[in-house]
Order: sequence, then C-alpha cells, then structure tokens
Amino acid sequence: MPNTYYGNRTLTEWLTFVLGVVIVLVGLFFVIEGAELAMLGGSVYYVLCGILLVASGVFMVLGRTIGAFLYLGALAYTWVWSLWEVGFSPIDLMPRAMGPTMLGILVFLTIPVLRRLETRRTLRGAV
Amino acid sequence: MRRSYLLATAACVTLACVPLAANAQFAPAGSGGSPTASVPGPGNADEPTATTPASTSRFSGPSPYAPQAPGVNAANLPDIGSMDPNDVPQMVPQQSAAPAQGDWSAYGRDDSQTRYSPLSEITPQNADQLKVAFVYHTGSYPRPGQVNKWAAETTPIKVGDGLYMCSAQNDIMKLDPATGKEIWRHNINEKYESIPYTAACKGVTYFTSSQVPEGQPCHNRILEGTLDMRLIAVDAATGNLCEGFGHGGQVNLMQGLGESVPGFVSMTTPPPVINGVVVVNHEVLDGQRRWAPSGVIRGYDAESGKFLWAWDVNNPNDHSQPTGNNHYSRGTPNSWAAMTGDNALGLVYVPTGNSASDYYSALRSPEENKVSSAVVAIDVKTGAPRWVFQTAHKDVWDYDIGSQATLMDMPGPDGQPVPALIMPTKRGQTFVLDRRDGKPILPVEERPAPSPGVIPGDPRTPTQPWSTGMPALRVPDLKETDMWGMSPIDQLFCRVKFRRANYTGEFTPPSVDKPWIEYPGYNGGSDWGSMSYDPQSGILIANWNITPMYDQLVTRKKADQLGLMPIDDPNYKPGGGGAEGNGAMDGTPYGIVVTPFWNQYTGMMCNRPPYGMITAIDMKHGQKVLWQHPLGTARANGPWGLPTGLPWEIGTPNNGGSVVTAGGLVFIAAATDNQIRAIDEHTGKVVWSAVLPGGGQANPMTYEANGHQYVAIMAGGHHFMMTPVSDQLVVYALPDHKG
Repeated sequence: MPNTYYGNRTLTEWLTFVLGVVIVLVGLFFVIEGAELAMLGGSVYYVLCGILLVASGVFMVLGRTIGAFLYLGALAYTWVWSLWEVGFSPIDLMPRAMGPTMLGILVFLTIPVLRRLETRRTLRGAV
Repeated sequence: MRRSYLLATAACVTLACVPLAANAQFAPAGSGGSPTASVPGPGNADEPTATTPASTSRFSGPSPYAPQAPGVNAANLPDIGSMDPNDVPQMVPQQSAAPAQGDWSAYGRDDSQTRYSPLSEITPQNADQLKVAFVYHTGSYPRPGQVNKWAAETTPIKVGDGLYMCSAQNDIMKLDPATGKEIWRHNINEKYESIPYTAACKGVTYFTSSQVPEGQPCHNRILEGTLDMRLIAVDAATGNLCEGFGHGGQVNLMQGLGESVPGFVSMTTPPPVINGVVVVNHEVLDGQRRWAPSGVIRGYDAESGKFLWAWDVNNPNDHSQPTGNNHYSRGTPNSWAAMTGDNALGLVYVPTGNSASDYYSALRSPEENKVSSAVVAIDVKTGAPRWVFQTAHKDVWDYDIGSQATLMDMPGPDGQPVPALIMPTKRGQTFVLDRRDGKPILPVEERPAPSPGVIPGDPRTPTQPWSTGMPALRVPDLKETDMWGMSPIDQLFCRVKFRRANYTGEFTPPSVDKPWIEYPGYNGGSDWGSMSYDPQSGILIANWNITPMYDQLVTRKKADQLGLMPIDDPNYKPGGGGAEGNGAMDGTPYGIVVTPFWNQYTGMMCNRPPYGMITAIDMKHGQKVLWQHPLGTARANGPWGLPTGLPWEIGTPNNGGSVVTAGGLVFIAAATDNQIRAIDEHTGKVVWSAVLPGGGQANPMTYEANGHQYVAIMAGGHHFMMTPVSDQLVVYALPDHKG
C-alpha cells in the first residue's frame, strides 16, 4: 500500500500528492455543482469533467501514472468543449481553459515522479 | 534538483489558487431564502387615510398623516406663499441661452444640455500634454464614524469670471477659473442625517434677474436645490443669500410633502429656469414604503421664490399647494434626474422614475401608471403636462430614467428641422421625440413582453416600447455561456446562479419563489451621466453599462426577518438600507432583495466583460454607430477588490457622462478605473488619460479662462461604485497655462 511510503517521501512526491488532493477537491466541486447545473438544464461538461478529475486526483494521490494521464485527458476534453462553446475568443477561453491548462503543466511535470513511485512500488512488490 | 525546485514553485502557485475552493460553500442564491410563507394578496391600493389602522408589519413607517420629524424643515423656514403664474415677470435672456464661447453656463453647458463646447485649443494632437492646472478641495467627505454615502457627482458651471460649484453637502462656492482660488464660499450647514442614499450635488443654476438692476446684489444669482430640501438663492458676486428670494434667500421644499424624516427626500440636480419659473424635482429614497412622500414636481418664481404650481400625479387637476394637514399624493413617481427646460415651447422635460416600492405595481393608480419611467413635458405656465412619453410600462425593474434629455434639431420629412429631444434610458433604448407633441421621430415599436408574470394581482403589460431607429446600448440577452470568472470554478458558480434564476429577457417579471435576473439593471444602460451631442458633426456620445442585477421579492415575513425597514421606522439606523439595495417596500406584501449579478465571494460580476462601453452615433447619417469600445481599464479592479494594475481596457461599470468639444475630443472619466481620458471624437482612440485622486463619477466640463482651455472633473468617487471618495475638483490644462 502506498501509505507505507509516507515516511520517506521526497519533496516532489509530496507536491504530487498535494496536487492530487487539489484535483480531487476541484473534481468534487465540479461533480456536485455540475450535477445541479445539468439538472437545471445547463451544460453537462462540468459533471462529466468532474468525474474524470476525481478519478485523476485519486490515482495521483495513490501514486499512479494513470492519474496524470486522466488529467491530461480531461484537459483535452476541456479544450475541445471550450472551443466548441466559444470558439477562439480569448476573453471567453480564459475562464474555461486557462486554469486547467496551468494545472495541466504541473500535472505533466509529475509524470516522472509518478513513474518513479510506480517503479519503486513494483520493485518492492507492492503494486 | 532543479526540476524539484520548479515543481515546488509551481505547486505553490497552485496552492495560492485554493481559496477558489471557498466557492464550494454554496450560499442560497440571492439570499432570498426558501419560499416557505404563502404568497400574499395584492393589498390595498388606496393611500391610507388619517384613520387607517397602523400596519401590522414588524417594521413600518408612521401614518402619512403623522407630522414631519424634527429637522425635516432643515432651516425652520416659514411656509412660502403662492402667486399666480401669469404674474411671473418676463425673463431676460439667460447666460445659458447662448453661452459665451469660453463659458459652461448650465449643467449640460447650455439650455439644450448638449455638453458640447466650441473650444478647440486642446486637440487629439496635443491632448497628451495635459497637466493638472489646479486642484480644489470642497471639504465634503465622510468623517470618522460616518457611513460612506458620498458621491459628489458635481459639475461646476463657468460664467464670466467665476467657476461656480457645490460640495457634496451643498456648500456653494465661486472659484477663480484660472487658478482655482476660492473667491467666496457659502456654507449651508447641512447635517449628515440629511444625506439620502448619496451625498451628491450635481450642480447649480445661474440665473439673471429681470427685477434687480445690474450692479445690485442678486442681479445674477446662483440657485441650488439641496439634500435637505431647500431651494437656495445666493448672489453670484458675493455668495450672500438673496433677501428678496423666499425667506431670506431660502424656500422650504418640504412644505406640503407631509410625514417624512431627514434623508428620505432630497434634491441632487440643478433646477432649470424656464421663462422665469424655477422648476424643482426631488428623489424619494427607493424601496422604503408604498406611501413614501410624494414625487410632486413644482414651479416657483425665480425672482421671489413664491410658489406657482405643482404637478401632483394623483391630483391632476389641482395645481395648488396643500393646506392644513393635507399633503401631495404619496407614493407617486419621483424624478431625480436633471430636467431640461425649453423657453420657446414653455416646457420643462421631466424624466420620471417609478412609483414608490419600485418592484411591485399592484398598488399604483392608473394616473401613476401613465407617467412613471417616462418623459413628461410640463407647461411651466400651468403645471399641467402637455404630453407624456413612457419608456417602460408598469415598471417593476427600476428602469427609472436617470439621464437628462438633450435637445437638438432633427431633419423633418419636408427638410425643415424638427425640434427634437434625445432621451437616454437605463434600458439602453434611446428615444428621439418631437418636443412639440412627444411623438417619436425615430420609430418606436411596441413589442411583446412576458405577461402576465407570476405575482398574483400584479400582471405585467403585454408589450413594451423599443426604439428601433437608434442603436441599442446593450448586449443581447444573457446566456449561460456568457458567465465568466477567473477559472472554471467561479464560472461554474455563476452558471448555476444563472440557471437558478428566472430569466426571460429584459422584462423578466419579478418572482418570489426564486430570484430573477434583471438585465439591463438599475445602473443602466444610460444613467445620470446622460449623453453629449456635437451639433456640428452630428455625433452623439453615449457611455453605458452592462451590469445585470439579481433580484428577488421576499414575503413580508422574510423581509421582517432580514430586518428590512423603511427609513422613517423608529428602529432605522443610517446606512441600514439604501436606494439601490434591499428594501422593505413597507405597505406592499413584499420586500425586495437586490444584489449585483456577481460572485459574492470574489466580488466579480458573473457575466463576461465588458461591463461598460462608450459609443459614438452619427445622428446626421442614419443613426449609425461610428465607433464603440469598452470604457475603463482593469487597473483599479480585480477579484476580491484587489487592483490588478492591468492596462487592459476590459470595460468597467461607469457613472458620469462625457463632454464633446470642437477640438474633436471627448472627455470622460466615469469608469471605475479612476481615470479621466480624452478620446478622439471621430475615431474613438484614447489619446490621453490620467489617474484621478478619487473616482471620476461625475460629468466633466470644459471652459476658457485667460485665453486658455481648461478641463475640470470632480474626482468625488462613488460609494456604491466602490471607488475612492475624495473632495477634489481636478482641473487640467496644457502645460504653459498652469494656474
């Protein structure tokens, strides 16, 4: 279990963990509020994206590379949806895609960290 | 190692964004609460009589027959006598009829209120050299312990050797126009309690007497209406009260208004003089109670201050002053915008507001419904309306008119010029009317509106007027995809807020079960800044807002829980409820909860920018938009009220108008970035801007002194616009002419 490694995590591993928690929280907000929005007849993007984000964040917290790739998948979905909704209008793309993209850069940087965690787990036979 | 450092930095940036998650603490939208109490009936449509039992509401004002509270007649003036309007002496030609080239003789410079100056020293080529010539401090700003209700909104006038202005609390002064040195100052000792929603004095009126010979005191006078409802006349040369006017230079305008408290009723605009008749209107604090003091319009003799006539909406055939314990009909539409006079037609154009209790119309009389949110042309000889043009029928959206009408000539069908009037509205619909009969010159269509609405006994009208011949100063109806934010988190918050509310366009009927979105909101479209019009080029300059509101009617029970009470309730505390916010609407079945349509956690509007625009319309060639762009940068605005410092012209909410000059420039502040700017009239390019010491929520003006052009702006700020309050009049000139 990953919990056994808490004691000797490196800084980057801690930060990856924190990033995962942040993504879970954002994802939960998306799921809860996005579900209300969808029920009120609004966009279904948020609830769907929220599910992806929660999964992504949970996997990152667990130290699994798939978490990062799930986030990047959610990011791709976000861009496709944003462009579909507002086209190439910068002022409208800003609230939709800027934050997720910045977060995406961080997530991208965690891929080697997650890989290292996974390798370590494999070596110890604790997958 | 290096990579982990980078990661750490990046992660810290992310963590800094975590407060966004605070949005997750989702509050009930509109704070209107759940509709637990049953929807009450329409109530009694008649003004209470002297024997009507008191209201059963937890908070409520006294009977309209109760005496006026102490201090309402601020100067303890005796009643003013009446005189026959036919005995008003013939008026001599006034300065404002044909201002000298370098003067700015009235609020909108001249009798037509064009806000156009023929001065041309400052041009798009040299405007970037403008420097501060002088600053004048009026001395009126909130003192410690006082709620900030300040927004001076003042525009000085300039006649001959004087720059005449008022402070936010109505002290009157004459300044040297070249140096800003105070020549005289007349303090009127207005009390803090008399400040209504806003301490504002938009300006004073210059009047030349036909009765007092030239060279005698009070031949030229400065007239002012005050927050504490006095009409004051002082000598333009000395600032001394005009003994021959009213009682020692003052008239008590609370006479005949019945029960009131200080701050309920007030004057904030300069009274126009038409053919010797000085006409006064006043604001009545919005949202307080159905039976608020009357919105009566009155005419007085500009020479003697004697009462001439009243236009009292629910007593249309009685133009006299009430006597004894009687009062002007209560709750009638008030008019708080600057009025425009027309000596040739003998009319005053009154932009009206709404009946008291803005958001509930079931208790309004048919007479009120005809004249609310309208232009009413009143004959200054009789006080009777000659024509009425309504800009919103049975208004329950606070689409009251804040703008002053501008007079101009439109080409008629036979090539002859038609005397026209341009009436901007908060709706962003600009109506162009024939001054003689009020008939639209440019087409107006009655279009279907949501009807009857949801409030029992208070149906909406099936149609509303749209000025299809003028460019609409608004954006299309809001959509979910117009919601905005810094991130998808706050955007999602606003999307949910949008979907939780009723919204079927501009005339979405009020509702009690859930909030409704009001766009345009009460800030406009066009508000009190009005428009400027260059009669030479035919270019009309309009600045306007895109600031939706989030409204909800609440049951009386809920209103009591929220502590909503009218200003004349004994429990009322100053600052406890303003004109443009939650209101008790005592006497109706509902209270009203109004907030900007914003994210209350970040303080950012929910809709996408821009929030403020400026538009130039070519009135000579088919009313086409010449240019249009956002007004105001993000430098002083941002999430959580933090200034971003960004020069990005995002388009901010704005209050205050523009000046257009023969030099081909538009001068305007208005935006919440606290800047004044000069814009090329023909291209819309901003050629100069400067940061003001306070918010520039005032109409600027321009004048000439010692052969050089000056531009003046009151940087008084605005409490509701959340711009810094100051008491400084800032005057600019080209560098060689600093004072």
